[in-house]
Amino acid sequence: MDLTLLTICLAIGCGIAAGLLAGLFGVGGGVIFVPTLVLVFAFTQLDAQATSLAAIIPVAAVGAWRQTSDENVYWRGALIMGIGAAVGVLFGAEVATRLPDELLSQVFGAVLILSGGEMIVSASRRIKAKRLG
Amino acid sequence: MDNASNLPKVSVYPLLGIGVVSGLFAAMFGIGGGVVIVPLLLLLTKLPPRIAAATSLATLLLTSLIGTVRYAGSDHIDWVAAIVIGAPAVIGVLLGIHFQKRLPADWLVVGFGVLIIGIGLKLVLQL
Repeated sequence: MDLTLLTICLAIGCGIAAGLLAGLFGVGGGVIFVPTLVLVFAFTQLDAQATSLAAIIPVAAVGAWRQTSDENVYWRGALIMGIGAAVGVLFGAEVATRLPDELLSQVFGAVLILSGGEMIVSASRRIKAKRLG
Repeated sequence: MDNASNLPKVSVYPLLGIGVVSGLFAAMFGIGGGVVIVPLLLLLTKLPPRIAAATSLATLLLTSLIGTVRYAGSDHIDWVAAIVIGAPAVIGVLLGIHFQKRLPADWLVVGFGVLIIGIGLKLVLQL
């Protein structure tokens, strides 16, 4: 990355936005890091994903530490999911090279849209019920 | 207030399954982690939203460490860039947690729904 005033400002903006999402919703920030590195800083997809992983470490570390002090982290669950994820990454790398990934990612996107819609509908019902109750 | 020390018992299999799926998706689509973990935790384990988000971050700490170690030997990681975007993100995560504590859990779920619909649209439209 070339460090100019503009790239530093963009990086700071993208970093803060990614961190906010991480703190609010528990996503790592890769959702913002990867496209920013590819589109703004002309990284290749692989370089962007690898760099994004490294950038997520301090975010997840500070976030998990802060949440642990408030007893919000279920560490047993995190450890078990972490082990599962390590296995999943190995398999995923095998599968990814053999499938038409454009269609696949569209299917995945559609699933996300549906589950997002379901979340909003069910949470709005609970919000409404609380208001009436 | 929900607290990780008085949770309903969660069996090991859904957790392991969620981990595997999140790893699979991370490798296949470059989007894994929290985007997959949080909705599945809400759906399969009935963990409260705040605990699900915090626990997802702890899982990401493990997976990002493992992933980084795997790439560290190659020259795919731009360490300067990682620091330049990672350091402000640390400020962002503290701010995000500050807001998260003040937001009612149901509104948190609505916000997350909006976020994943946005990501879903991006994938469907191939942007």
